[in-house]
Order: sequence, then C-alpha cells, then structure tokens
Amino acid sequence: MTRLLLKNFVRAKGLMLGLLLLFIAGCISLYIGHRFIEQNKETVEQSAHFQQENIERYVEYNQSSIGTLLYYLRFGLVHQAPHLVGLAIGQRDINPSVISVNIRNLEEQKYTSALMNPMYQLLGNMDFSFVLLYFFPLIIIAFCYNLVSEEKEEGIWDMILSQTAQPLQMLSIKLGIRFASVMGVLLLLLTLAGLGLNIPLDKAFVSFCLVAIVYVVFWFCLTCLVISFHLSSSQNALVLLLSWISLTLILPASVHALSTYLYPIPEAYGTVLESRDGYHTQWDKPKEPTIAQFHAQYPQFSSYNHPSDQEFSWLWYFAMQQMGDQHAANDAKVLAEKLRARGAFSQAMGWVIPTIHTQLSLNSLSQSDLLHHLHFLEALEDFHEDKRLYFYPKIFENAAVAEEDWSDFGLAFHQKPLEISGAQTVLPPLLASFLLLFLARMNWRMKMFIEKN
Amino acid sequence: MLIAENLTKIYGQQTALWQLNLEIKAGEIFALLGQNGAGKTTTIHCLLGFILPTEGAAYINGLEVTKNLTVARKQVAYIPETVMLYPNLTGAENLAFFSSLAGFKYSTNELEAYLTYAGLQAEAHHRRLGGYSKGMRQKVGIAIAVAKQVKALLLDEPTSGLDPKAANEFSSILKNMAEKGTAILMATHDIFRAKEIADRIGIMKEGNLVSIIKASSVTTHALEELYLQMV
Amino acid sequence: MQTRTVGLLAKQVWRNTVKNRSTIWLFGVFNLLLLCALLSGYQYMHSQQLLALENSEEVRERWVNNPDKHPHRMAHYGYVAFRQKYPLSFFDFGMDSYVGNVIFLEAHRQNTVNFSAASLSNGLLRLGEISAGMVLQLLVPLLLFFWGFSLVASEREKGTLKIVLIQNVSAVELIAGRALGLFYLSTVVFLPTAIIGGILLGLSDLGLTSIGLYGRFILLLIAYVFYFGLLSWLAVLISAYSSSSRASLIRLIGCWLFFTLMLPKVSQLVGQTLYPAPTKIEFDTAVEEELIQHGDSHNPNDPHFQALKDSLLRAYGVESPQELPFNYSGYVMREGEKLSAETYQRHQENLVGIYQKQQQVVRLTAMLNPYLAIKNLSMAFSGTDYSAFKDFQEQTETYRYTLAQTMNELQIQHISNKVESSADKKAIISRQHWEDLPDFQHQFLSLGQVIRQESISIISLMVWGLGLFLVTNRFAQHLKAF
Repeated sequence: MTRLLLKNFVRAKGLMLGLLLLFIAGCISLYIGHRFIEQNKETVEQSAHFQQENIERYVEYNQSSIGTLLYYLRFGLVHQAPHLVGLAIGQRDINPSVISVNIRNLEEQKYTSALMNPMYQLLGNMDFSFVLLYFFPLIIIAFCYNLVSEEKEEGIWDMILSQTAQPLQMLSIKLGIRFASVMGVLLLLLTLAGLGLNIPLDKAFVSFCLVAIVYVVFWFCLTCLVISFHLSSSQNALVLLLSWISLTLILPASVHALSTYLYPIPEAYGTVLESRDGYHTQWDKPKEPTIAQFHAQYPQFSSYNHPSDQEFSWLWYFAMQQMGDQHAANDAKVLAEKLRARGAFSQAMGWVIPTIHTQLSLNSLSQSDLLHHLHFLEALEDFHEDKRLYFYPKIFENAAVAEEDWSDFGLAFHQKPLEISGAQTVLPPLLASFLLLFLARMNWRMKMFIEKN
Repeated sequence: MLIAENLTKIYGQQTALWQLNLEIKAGEIFALLGQNGAGKTTTIHCLLGFILPTEGAAYINGLEVTKNLTVARKQVAYIPETVMLYPNLTGAENLAFFSSLAGFKYSTNELEAYLTYAGLQAEAHHRRLGGYSKGMRQKVGIAIAVAKQVKALLLDEPTSGLDPKAANEFSSILKNMAEKGTAILMATHDIFRAKEIADRIGIMKEGNLVSIIKASSVTTHALEELYLQMV
Repeated sequence: MQTRTVGLLAKQVWRNTVKNRSTIWLFGVFNLLLLCALLSGYQYMHSQQLLALENSEEVRERWVNNPDKHPHRMAHYGYVAFRQKYPLSFFDFGMDSYVGNVIFLEAHRQNTVNFSAASLSNGLLRLGEISAGMVLQLLVPLLLFFWGFSLVASEREKGTLKIVLIQNVSAVELIAGRALGLFYLSTVVFLPTAIIGGILLGLSDLGLTSIGLYGRFILLLIAYVFYFGLLSWLAVLISAYSSSSRASLIRLIGCWLFFTLMLPKVSQLVGQTLYPAPTKIEFDTAVEEELIQHGDSHNPNDPHFQALKDSLLRAYGVESPQELPFNYSGYVMREGEKLSAETYQRHQENLVGIYQKQQQVVRLTAMLNPYLAIKNLSMAFSGTDYSAFKDFQEQTETYRYTLAQTMNELQIQHISNKVESSADKKAIISRQHWEDLPDFQHQFLSLGQVIRQESISIISLMVWGLGLFLVTNRFAQHLKAF
C-alpha cells in the first residue's frame, strides 16, 4: 500500500513542482547566505587592511606627538560570525560586524550603522530561516489541506471506507509520505548548507537543525488538527492559510509592536545628546574639576596632572572626552537594559507562538540576534577601555611614537562562546506539536463515523 | 446474511428511513426500487456502517455492524453509483491499492485476472485511470468488490450511466456471484434490470419499505404498474 | 453593456455574500485589525514625533546656550538632527523602521543616521509590521480572492451560469457586475479605515500638518480604491476562466503568493546582483583615499594645501600666513570642508544611485505586480519611502555643511590670525552668533515631487487596469457556459 500511495504522490505533478520550488527557494537562500558570509569576510579583510594602512599613514605624519596620533587612530573590533549566520542573517545586516573606534568618547562611535539599501530590509532577506519560516509551512499546507477532503470530494472516500474500517492507517501512510518528502528536502538543504557554507557539525548546527525539524513537525501537527475537522478542501485551505498569516505575519508583528510600546527607548536619543554635551561643555569650564573626576575614575593616573602653565594638555583633553561617556553612561545603561527587556519579552512570547520561537532560536544559534549584538557592544566597551588604559600612560608621558610597534595593532575579534539552553531551544514548539496532535487524535475519534449531512 | 432490524434513521425533522425490516440470504439478489429520497441509499449506508441508525440495527453475517465495524466491513463490498478512484494510478494499481486496504495482497497475474473477470479489456489494465470512461471505472469497482471475496455485496444504482452492453455484462457478473453464495443488495431506478436479475424486489417510499415482491411472480409490465401505483 | 444589469448582478453578489455568517465575522475581524493598526500606528507615530520635537528643541536650546567661544569649537560641538515622521506615516510604515532617526552633524565628518527602529528590535521586525497599509495591501486582497474565487466558477458548476447567460446577459456584463459586487464588499473594509484615518490625520497637534497632507491622503485613498477595483476584477476574471471553483481558489492563492512573496524577493535578489553596493568600510575607504589624493589637510607637507598657501601669500604679498589680513586656519578649513564635502557628496550620490538602480529593478517588476505598485505608491504618499529618507539625509548634509562653513566664515572674519590657542581671549566670539544660525527644520517632500518619483507605480496600476479590460473583452467571447 505504501508503494502505491507513494506512486500516487509522485505522479501528482503539482506536488512534485511544489517540492522542486521549495528546493530551489532553499538553494537561492543558501546562495544568499553564502554571499553574505563572503561579504562579511571581505569586510573584515578590508577593515584589517584599511586599519593597517591608516595606522601607518598617521604614524608617519605624527612622529612628534603620540597624543595627536591617538586622536586619530582607530582600532577595529570584529563581531565574528559563525558560518551558521549564512542560514539566519537576522540582525546582522543592520548591525555592523566591524566597529572601528578611536580612544575618544565611545558613545559617539558605538551605535554607528551599516550601509544598506532599506528597500531590502523592508522586503526582507531571503535567507534560509525565511524559507523555513514561510515557504515550508506553505508547502506543508499545500500538501495536506486536502488529505481527506480530496478523497471525499472526488468520491473515493466511500470506496475506501467500504474496504476498511480503519482509514486512519492509510491516512497516516499518506501523511507519512508527505512528511518524509518535506523532511527530505529540509535535510537535503541542511546537508547542502553544511557542505556549501562550510558549517562545522557542532552543537550549534545540530541544534539549528533540530529547531528547523521541530518547526516542520509543528506545522504538520497543525495541519493534522485542521484536517481532523473534516471540512471541505476550500475551508481547510482557508483555515490553514489564515493560521499561516496569523502565525507568520500578524502575531510576530503584534508582539513586536507591543514590545516597542511596553519598552519605549527615548534614552537612545539621550545617549547622543548627553555624550555630546558631556564632552563639549568641558571646554568652557575650569579644568580642575574635570581632571579631578578623571583621577577619581582612574586613581592609577593620579600622578599625572595638567601642567598649570599650559592652555592645553592631552590629559585634560582625554579627561574631557571621558566626561562624554560618563554623562551618557546612565542613558546607555538604560538603553541596553530596555533592549534586553524587549528581547526577553519576545522570547517569552515565543513559548506560545512557535514562529517567534523558531526565528529567535535560529538567530540566537547563528549569533545574529539582538542579544549577541548587545554582548558585542559590551565587548566593544571593554576593548575600548583596554586601549585607553594601554595608551593613557604613554600619552600622558608623551612617549616616543617610534617606541611602539604599530604593526601589532591589527583587528581584534570577539565571539561569544556558544550557550545553548537545551530545553528552551526546542521545547516550546515541541509541546505545541504534541498538544495539537493529541487534539487531532481526539477530534478524529469523535468523527470516526462519517455522518452524511 | 444481510439483516436490517427496525432500521430507522431520522435527520432532525426528516425521517429518512422508518423501521425497515429485511433479510437477504446468501446467494440471493435483492433489488430496492424507489424514487430519489425514498431511503434506498440510507439503507445501504446503514448496512455499511457509514451512518449510525437512529434506532434498530443492521447485521452482516450475524454481526451487528456498528458494534463490530472492523469485522463487519471485512465481509461486505460496495459499489457506488459512480466509482471514483485515484486518477494517477492505473486500473491494476487501483485494484491493488483498494485490495491492500482490505488486507489482500495479489500478484500482477491475479490482479489482471480480476480485472478481466470484471470485463475490463486487457489493454486498459495498465493505463492510468484518468483516461477511463465511466463504464471502465465501474468495472474496476466490480473487480475491487470481487477481489474482496465477500459474503455480501451492496450496490447503489451501479448500472446508471452504463451503456446497455456493459449493463448486461454487469448483470451476468452479479448473477455469477450470487450463484457462488454472495448475498446482494442493489438499489436501482431500473425496473427492467431489477426484474431481470433480482430474486426479490422491494419498493420503498418516503423511508418505508412498502412492498416486497418475488421477481418470478410478476411480469415486467405488471411490476412497472405496481411501482407507479405505489410511489 | 447595460448598467442596470451590471448593477443587478453586483447587488446579487452583495446580498449573497452578506447573508453568510462568516462574512459578517470577516468584516468584523478586518475592521478590528485595521482599527488596531491605525490606532497603534498613530500612537507610535505621535510618540515618536513628540520625542523628535522635544529632542530638537533640547538640541536648539543647548546650541544657543553655549557661551562665547571659538567658532571652530562650535563647529565640532555640532548639531543633532532628528528625522521627523510625516503625519501620514501612521497609515503605512513603509521603510520608516529600517532607516535611521538621528544624526550627529559636525565639521569634517559625515556620520551615519543611527537608531533605526530595526536596530532596536530583536529580529521580529523582520517578520513584518502591521500597519493599515500592510493590511490593505496584503491581507484585504486575500479576503477579496476568498469572496471572489467562486463567483463565476461555482455558477458554472451549479449550472446556473447557462441560465444567466440565456437571460440576455453578456459575458462582459456578468464579469463587470460580479467584479463591482466584489468591490462593494471591499468598501465595507476600506471605508471605515479611510474615515478613521482622516480623523486621526486631523488630530495631530504638532504643527506638522499642511494642506498638501490632505491632498496626499486623498490620492492615497484613490490609489487604494483603484487597487481594490483591479483585484476584484482580477478575481472574477480568474474565477470565470477556471474550470472549477477549487481550481480558481488555488490559482488566486497562487497569484497572491507569487505577487507578495516570490516576486519581491526574486526582484530584490536580481537588483542586488546586478548592482552591487559597497559596504560601509569600502565606502569610507573610497572617500578617504580620494580625499588624500586631493590633498590631506592633516598632512602639513601636503602639496595641495602647500600650493594654496603659496598662492595666498603671493596674492597678499606677505611672508607668512600669520601676516594675512584674515584667519588663515579658518580659510584652510573652509577649503578642506568644501573639498571633503564635495568628495563625500559625490560618493554618496553614487551610492544612492546604486540603491536607486536596485530599487528600480524592484519597481520595474511592479509592472507585473500590482502589489508592489501599490506598496511603493502608498509608501511614497505616506512619506515613508526611500526618497523621503534620502531627502532627509540631503537636508542634514546641507545643514551640516552650512553649519561648518558658517563657523569657518566666522573664524575667518572675527578671529585674529595671531592667536595661539582657541582658549585665547582673542579667539572668542559672542554667543550671539550661535543664535544667528537657523535651527534645523526637517522639511517634507512636496506632492509634486512624490508623484514624479512614483510615476512608474501610477503607470503600472493604469496598465493593469487597461490590461484587465482588454483581456476581459477578448476573453468574454469565449466564456464557457458549462
């Protein structure tokens, strides 16, 4: 029977075309991912090259003053992306993957954005996660919406019922074939992704695959529930399409709107204004309090002081710059906190809305989500601070520029060690799937006798 | 073999079937005559267990259908007015599929033998069903019923839409099956066909079985007059 | 074609659909969805407008309250510009969430516009936003297709089509009537939205409203009405063309998916492949390298600025820059700013050109895709399209340039050539000058500009209308009655 049902499935041109389209869409998405990784790599290489060139040039011009030199020099920190990012680009196309900072005020440099055609962000990246989230359910719906109703509408159902009292077995085979074919395409695509994008078979990739599989399982369970109501093909199609729209468009968009409403971030603008004023107003103020505050923050530099006979010193200048960061510190902290709160809120909603959960999990595993970016910004703060602490004494002592080996200052790299909370990664949609399947079973049993009319 | 006992089916206000009592023995062909909506199809669906009777019970080979659905279904075959099958499978594949649903596994030779027995020309056996005429599909339906090797066969206007030659062949297959001991219940509009092959003829009106006539006791003409009087 | 017959047929569609309980539910659900979208959109827009206004005022106040100082310090103190939301943006968010909102304007440097809503979101935004525009563009068509898929096909299945055609109803009348009826249905969803949108538009008390705004709103509504008309017609045509209502439903859903999901994605991929855009680092490097070639004002031995100095000294017949009758470093900075701004401008225009070419690819597919046409048009009228952002960016750059050059002029005129440092008393000018610099005011594009930008979208909707009309006329002769 399986063989015959398989034959029937394979001979349906529409279904095969659907699988083919799904596969092609998947391949396109992998190509897009591949291109993104390459671009990213190129950006990093360019940044490294550019930084080297930049340092060499400024060192050449500014042999006399290390303070002037470090006014200009910029050091890049790379937010390293695992190759998995090619499958879920997430926020990586909005947030830059390299940020180059000088040792002045950090707040003015931290939030710089990447160059991107907003039209593409509006239409969205067609990365693998998009294909998974949108196209797979559509194909599943197209494959299953008339699983029973087709036979009924074509008049085959009576023949089947007269031959057996257990049509469920045959339906499970039909469903199984469809499930296997969709899963086959998914696994094929993931294999291709692993090979084509050079994704190592590590914990992150395995979890990524699991999330994808569970998502597909969820949609099969949802379609099972809908078809267990024995509606007509048109009604099934409508109900499933509405579920698709709600789950992939309306609910995520509503959760997003709700999160921005619940956690408004006026502090974002605040960081800009405060850091600007914090620094610039120091020019018009007496120097002593500025330097005292600098000393309070860095007791190790207490021995350095502004020479009273001079109008300007680098100590004073960098102390002023430091004030910019200090003034904006509170807003910056609140900004990060609220962003985290937005993240936590959506994550919580993911427990009940599998599409949200899947998208967030995939982004998180490929380190392209907001939380990873925030983590990167924290690393950037540390990086910036390290550079400051390294150069401050040299500047204050006006060390000779030539003493430093400037070729040592290549790009630095940051990558957060992978944290996978096992249960959280796949549990919510898995629970939803079980619930749906259970309901479908119950419903089916109730409708075992196919009442006419 | 087939027994209906006070079989009643009521949909809301409407009585589709009212206290039908009927017994069809092994080897007997029973024809149900009646207008559209007289309750013929409801009777067949109750016997098949497609619908639950409001009252009364249907038995196949002594088993109450609704309580022993799985076993009862194994002992009955059904040919609807229009046999619809999978258009993407060939005649032989359809036969193989439906037989496997009923738990039979046949070799290609056996499948072809059944199809030939049902009157389907050999060249059509391995063609996809999408190109079949109604008569050809009906023949595959017969093959499916025969291949199930059952003791009871239920037919719902199986010859409507068939050309006279095909209908004739069909009649002889039914007679052949009855001779081998199959109990056959056939709902039909066709008075002449009923008279020709049935042992007994029941006339239904508005859910009631109003009369049962022995086919050999009347002429076709008399049967027609009787029918027109009653309905 | 008899109008009475068409009207009759349309009324029949209305009556039959409204009788259905699910229709009332769908009316309710869609109106609720649209109401929520409008109100939440308005609330969001209003809060953002307020935030931008408050911050702009704050920026102005801080600028003006700077004490007397050296003008170049003010050039570095700079300005912060906030992108103001167009009062219609609550109707269709468009690209608003993906473009930055705040930009720090200072001398010598062109910063990026930062803090887009998308950069403050955690990826859910990428699954789309709900605005009235999105519901009308994306979901209402689906609703129309659902109501319309069986309008002719099921009549054929039931056999009533033959009877209708025998009653001297022509095929064109039939299709027109059914399409009109379907269109009536869409107004039940659309009219409340239009009215509530209009009321919300009038509510704004931030002084951003103008007469042109209502003009744009009315044009926006007309565009949507036309869009729904097109889709109603398309749905009925496909229903008439399909052999069964199931086939019709599948075709219409297929159209919907193709138009809204496949085509935009594919066209964007094509656009990106045809016209690759530089990354930020590439862009910055290119600008910087060109600047160095022109002359690096940071390099004291740069030939370009050396030549400039020599020519000045010669013209004024003096020995050293300190003897010049004006502030020499201000002069150099003015030249440097001019040069760097020009260079940046050229690269920026080039980049914008690439973006626009990429968008043009997408826009051209609007000829095949009414969804993209209305999307572009709706964004443009709502002031949330790329040209609105580009215009803002240009305004900020102009303002930045003016600010930097005004400060340079002040330095050239007022600052002695002999001061040692910017803290010197002689190097300080009155704060009165700060107030003389006008505030940054984000101006919106005019209606004429918007219409010119989106002429392709307008034409494509027209072409669709014409195309459907022609197809109907041709096809009507072959309408199968059974």
